[in-house]
Amino acid sequence: MCAETASPVGGVAAGAEPIIQIRDLHKWFGQVHAVNGVSLDVYRGEVVVIIGPSGSGKSTLLRCINHLETPDLGTVVVDGIPLTEAKNINAVRAEVGMVFQLFNLFPHLTVLENITLAQRIVKKRSRKEAEEIAHDLLAKVGIPEKASSYPNQLSGGQQQRVAIARALAMQPKIMLFDEPTSALDPEMIKEVLDVMLDLAKEGMTMVVVSHEMGFVRAAAKRIVFMDAGSVVEETTPDDLFNNPQQERTRQFLSKILK
Amino acid sequence: MPDLERAEQLPKPAEAGRLVGFDRWWLLFAAVAILVVVMSLAAPDPYWRMILFMREGIRVTVSITVVSYVCILLVGLLAGLGRVARSPIIRGIASIYVEVIRGIPLLVQLLFIYYALPVIIQGIGRYLLENVPPLSGIGQAMAAATINEFVGAVIGLTICYGAYVGEIYRAGIQSIPRGQMEAARSLGMSHLQAMRHIILPQAIRVILPPLGNEFVALLKDSSLVSVVAVPDMVRRGREFMSKTFIPLETWTMVALLYLLMTVFSARIVAYIERKTSYVR
Repeated sequence: MCAETASPVGGVAAGAEPIIQIRDLHKWFGQVHAVNGVSLDVYRGEVVVIIGPSGSGKSTLLRCINHLETPDLGTVVVDGIPLTEAKNINAVRAEVGMVFQLFNLFPHLTVLENITLAQRIVKKRSRKEAEEIAHDLLAKVGIPEKASSYPNQLSGGQQQRVAIARALAMQPKIMLFDEPTSALDPEMIKEVLDVMLDLAKEGMTMVVVSHEMGFVRAAAKRIVFMDAGSVVEETTPDDLFNNPQQERTRQFLSKILK
Repeated sequence: MPDLERAEQLPKPAEAGRLVGFDRWWLLFAAVAILVVVMSLAAPDPYWRMILFMREGIRVTVSITVVSYVCILLVGLLAGLGRVARSPIIRGIASIYVEVIRGIPLLVQLLFIYYALPVIIQGIGRYLLENVPPLSGIGQAMAAATINEFVGAVIGLTICYGAYVGEIYRAGIQSIPRGQMEAARSLGMSHLQAMRHIILPQAIRVILPPLGNEFVALLKDSSLVSVVAVPDMVRRGREFMSKTFIPLETWTMVALLYLLMTVFSARIVAYIERKTSYVR
C-alpha cells in the first residue's frame, strides 16, 4: 500500500487532519531495507496496532515517529510539525510518549524520580508539582505504594507500568508502545494490558507494536500487517481475523492464532 | 521475584563500606608504616635524617599527583565525551589525541614539554616580535618564555593520563545500555541532559575502580618528573645519595615511602568502590 491508499478505515470523520502522517518512509540498516516505502495516517484518539513477523520493520517504523531512528527517505509529520529539522525533534518528542519492550527505567533513580526527572528538566515543573503528577499517575497504574522503590525491586509488570506512568507524566498527545508485553511473564501481561486499555478508553492516540490479540480485539481501531518492510494489509481487526485479503496475512495469522 | 529477596539480604552499600575497616590489606599498610617508624627510631642516621631531607620531595610528589589527577579527571571526561560524540569532527579530534598520546612514552612527552615546547614558543615569539608589530608585546613575552617545573610536570602528566582516562570514561559510557539514552531522549531530554542526568551517574559507578587504579599508577609515574629537575621524592633521594653515598639505605627508604602511599591509596580506592557499588 502506498500514499494514495493510506486512508482511514473504521469510522473516522472524513476531513479530519491526521495527527501522524507518514509518507513513503524508507530506512536502511546497511544492506537491509528495514522500512520500504511505508505510508500511514493515524487520527486523533485512534488505536492502531502494527503486527508482523520479526524483522518486518514494525519497530523501526514506530521508532521513526519520534526519530529514535532517522528515516533515510520520506516524511513524518506529527501534529502538524514536520520532523525534518533538528529543532523540531525535541518539540515532537515532548508530545509523543514511548514505552519500550525492556522498560528502560533509570536504575539509579527511584520510581518517583524516574517519573519526575523529565518533568522538572524538560517541562520546568517544580518538584512539588511534578511529584503530585507522579503520585496521581502511580495510583492510575495501580502501584501507588512503590514511589520510593528502585526499579530493580519491582516485578517486570510493575516496571512496565512505571514506564507508562513516566511517559504519561509528560502529558503526551500520542503514546507509542514497542512490544510492551514481550519481555513479561504471562501472568504480568494482563496488568500492563489493563492499563493500556484504560488509556485507549480515555481517547489516547496510540500506536502499538504487539501480538497481543486480546488487546487488538478489545481496543484496536485499525490493524496494520507489515512484512519485509512494507505494509501488506491495513484493515479493521474484524476484517483481518475473519476475512484477510492477502495470502501472506493469512499465513502469518495461522501461525499466531491457535 | 527471587531476585528481590536476594537483593534485600545483601548488605546495604553503607554497611559494605564499614567492613573495609577490617580489610586484610590494611595489614600490609600497617606493616610498612611500622617498618618505616622502627627504622627511623632504630637508626635516626641515616633514616630519619633522610626523611627530613626528603620532606619537601614528599610534598612535591603528593601535590603533583593530586593536582594532576584533578586535571586528568576533567581532560579525560572531555576526551571520553569526545570519543562518543555524534559529530565526526569532535570524535576525530578526540580519537587522534588518544591514539597519538598513547603511542608516545610518558618520559618522552615530559622531555618534549620541558625542552622542546619552550623552543617552539620562543620561536613563535621571536617571529611575532620581528614581523607582527601589533603583537610585539605578546611576542616579547613568548620569546622569553620558560617553563615552570611544577606546571610542566602537571601539564605532561595530564596530557598523557588524560588519554588513558578518556578511554575509561568512554568504556563506562558505552557500558550503559542504549535503551537508557533512548528512554531519556524519548522524554524530550537533550543529548547533554541525558548524559548529565542518566548516562554519567550510571557510568561513574562502573568507572570508579579503574579511575582509582589510575590514581595509584599516576602516583608511581610521577617519579618520572625527577628526570626533568622537579624536586620530587626520587630527585631528593638522588641528591641525598650523592651526598652520603649510601644507595642501599636511600633507595630502600624511597621504595618504602612509595609503597606506603600506594597501598594507602589502593585501600581508599577499594573503600570507595565498595561504597558505591549497588545491587542491580
